Amino acid sequence: MPDLQFDATVNGRRISRGAKPHQRLLDFIRDDLNLTGNKEGCGAGECGTCSVFVNGVLMKSCLLPVAKANGKTIDTVESLAKTGELSLLQKAFHKAGASQCGYCIPGMVMAATAALRANPFAGREEIKERLGGNICRCTGYQKIFDAVELARDVQNGLLPASVLLEEEVEEGAFIGKNVRRIDTPAKVSGRLRYAADMTMPGMLHAQVLRSPHAHARILSIDTSAAQAMAGVEAVITSADVPGEDGFGVFVNDQPVMAREKVRYVGEAVAAVAAEDPLIAKRALAAIKIEYAPLPAVFDPDEALRPGAPILHAYAPDNLTKHIPIRVGDVEKALAGCDLVVEETYTTQPIEHAYLEPEAGLAYVDHDDVVTIVSPDQNVTHHRHMLARIIAKPISKVRFIMSPVGGGFGGKEDMIYQGMLALLAMKTRRPVRLVFTREESIVSTAKRHPSRTSLRMGLMRNGQIRALEMKMICDGGAYGLSTEGVMRKAAILAAGPYAIPNVRIDTYGVYTNNTPSGAFRSFGALQTAFATESHLDICAERLGLDPFEIRRVNAMRDGALTHTKAKLGSVSLLRILDELEKRSAWEKGAPVSRGGTRRDLARDGIRPPCALGARLAHVEKQEAAE
Amino acid sequence: MLTCDEYITAGSLEEAFAAMSRNRGNWRLIAGATDTLPWAREGRAGDVHVPVLIDVTKIPELQEISIGAKRVRLGAATPMQRFLDNAALAGVLPAMPGCAVWFADDQIRAQATVGGNIVNASPAADATPCLMAHDAIVEIASAKGRRVLPLSEFVTGPNTTALAEGEVLVAIECDALPAYGGSFEKVGHRRSLVISLVCLAALVKLDCHGRDIEDVRLAIAGIGPKPIRLSEVEKGLRGYPLTMARLVAAAEAPVSLVASRTRREYRREVVRGFMLRGLINAARRAGPAEAALAPELEAAYA
Repeated sequence: MPDLQFDATVNGRRISRGAKPHQRLLDFIRDDLNLTGNKEGCGAGECGTCSVFVNGVLMKSCLLPVAKANGKTIDTVESLAKTGELSLLQKAFHKAGASQCGYCIPGMVMAATAALRANPFAGREEIKERLGGNICRCTGYQKIFDAVELARDVQNGLLPASVLLEEEVEEGAFIGKNVRRIDTPAKVSGRLRYAADMTMPGMLHAQVLRSPHAHARILSIDTSAAQAMAGVEAVITSADVPGEDGFGVFVNDQPVMAREKVRYVGEAVAAVAAEDPLIAKRALAAIKIEYAPLPAVFDPDEALRPGAPILHAYAPDNLTKHIPIRVGDVEKALAGCDLVVEETYTTQPIEHAYLEPEAGLAYVDHDDVVTIVSPDQNVTHHRHMLARIIAKPISKVRFIMSPVGGGFGGKEDMIYQGMLALLAMKTRRPVRLVFTREESIVSTAKRHPSRTSLRMGLMRNGQIRALEMKMICDGGAYGLSTEGVMRKAAILAAGPYAIPNVRIDTYGVYTNNTPSGAFRSFGALQTAFATESHLDICAERLGLDPFEIRRVNAMRDGALTHTKAKLGSVSLLRILDELEKRSAWEKGAPVSRGGTRRDLARDGIRPPCALGARLAHVEKQEAAE
Repeated sequence: MLTCDEYITAGSLEEAFAAMSRNRGNWRLIAGATDTLPWAREGRAGDVHVPVLIDVTKIPELQEISIGAKRVRLGAATPMQRFLDNAALAGVLPAMPGCAVWFADDQIRAQATVGGNIVNASPAADATPCLMAHDAIVEIASAKGRRVLPLSEFVTGPNTTALAEGEVLVAIECDALPAYGGSFEKVGHRRSLVISLVCLAALVKLDCHGRDIEDVRLAIAGIGPKPIRLSEVEKGLRGYPLTMARLVAAAEAPVSLVASRTRREYRREVVRGFMLRGLINAARRAGPAEAALAPELEAAYA
């Protein structure tokens, strides 16, 4: 593969060197020029964290064959604060608190720069539109838009530059104060290095071979052809695990790579470390695996029936965890209620879609310490698990938490760190593994999909006398955090309401779906969705205002929860008052809808999204002329 | 991922044809690359190796834009962003700015080409219905010569065109319609980077009193295997007074054409709404300055 001659001006400096003809501009600037400020979030032009200027025009460098940038002027995020001083926009991002995980921020800052160059007077709607090609998963965008408006107003002399300075805060005061994040300068400038940005001399690149089957026995794995390829340094399978090949948060049911059988599509079966990612990919294609497909089960209710395919020998009923809670006598209480309402609620699996796909770098250091650098939300736990997997004392295992480019719980369960450790140990070289977006979606944990049957008995005044809930969750192929999620779901199922009779059962079930795991709120979402939706339905049936039905049942200071926790103070009533006020809620049973409600489409309520703010601007300008 | 052994940036059509004949069966053309790179990923085509990629966007003829009194000629490599930032172009293609502003995002529009959008032949392509409403023809070149085809015949189905082996789409020629009001209606899951579920291009010319519809052009995509021109509906409007009753009747006509594989009921609702909104928006912009229409029409889509 002959290189193509590539000449360009990058961040003000002339460069002249060879580039691979298939490289994208993103690969070239990150891998060859080591300009890692711009990131790869999706590789498909969806997220915008790779946005760079090409001849002054912002483009997504993951969609740009490097040859298209030949002879051009390229400016990456590093160009904005080249002297070390942040640009006006970068300072505004700092002031407005517009960065959280920071992974999208290099692209956001670039898009904001392009937006204000295109129209220095752009209004908020036009700013939104011009930043439309960039995705942020943490901030909800408002602070980013605030930052762009702040920079715009300073740039136009409408605000003094001093508004960008840190507000003076009295020593030690934090609550209700605007305290700037100390890591923002590193994030807005692209200087902060996430795991995929890190390199080490002699570093190898890992790729993972994944199961195409939802459930299959592995008859044989032949890695000899892959091992023999030039540039391939190691191929590993479950046979390479020296210690206990089972880990998890509550039950050690997950092997580092599939052992004897695969349990979901996308499960790791083998991994390769090679001189470059392309060689590693080709080596994967040379690994021969014989599978004997097994019957699979994809629905948790079906998985619980006798005769269903069994995923794990230790759990012949496919039950990962059942959490029961019993208070009082539900049947008796229901018999005495004025109204009993029964409904079923379902929620879907949800992908965390943190903007940083999983990545890690592993090496064995001079003292034989196996070291893993990865965006890990639970390093101490992972360190203990890895020590058992690789049969080393804990003193010989080290985890370094790299900046987490968004986690939301998805980086709490261990995923790939075991493979990285084994590859580093086998090759005695640093090894880096970077997931593609597709790999991240196909192989990592999701929010538990749930099916909840809920029966509630109430009195005419709205008082809840009894609640019976049964929630079945699809835990997927491995346990991960399922037990904890079921526990929290059950604990919070009755909400902040004083209910004398409660029967709650949550079940986490094994299926051949992608494993479910930790996700922000950790089980509370599924049961709260059911309980709160149910309360609205009950309010409608009883002709009560939804705020009122909640007030009637709200726990008060000193309440005992249905799991016997004594609450010193309960703020629910205050919160309900505030919510009612701020939403300008139209009092009454929730029976009117949409356009007939006075509390909708008023000032302070966001209108539906529209495009063309810049066209409206042009039309207005023309009209004025 | 997409890999190749050689990436050729053709400086002329001759160079492109020579590269094709040198590498018979082993090449693929690249325009903006914004569809090709995501195509060669897991879940779609997976890892793809094409020995030779031939980039046609630097060929001068494919970059040229010329605006005549009657017709507009667009080089196939014209980036979608030109429909927003080239005021002269926007003036003669009145539905195109609305199409462009909804197309992908600012960054991808700088790279994605109008020719690429047409050749990609998505059933939900945005530029194609717009250009069909302008009676567009496409000019195709090969080493053997040139031919022209109506755009409506060029796109033959989902992701298929009349382009034969060795042929390159070089230009699109279409009506210049400066006196028309244009509207582009589109719905998808989000604001940016969204594939149309349904999109509609509407062009309206009113008589000198602003009362009668002198001419109307309508084309729609996302409701079947390929974008279509709504010629029959146009007939029911052309030469008639612009009244709510007539628009409502026209809006009903294409509803039965919805033949998508999914979400038919929803699309039917959308078609009905888009027809009304598109025609009213286009009519409102049809005069020399945006003008209010009859109250019944203004009330329909305030």
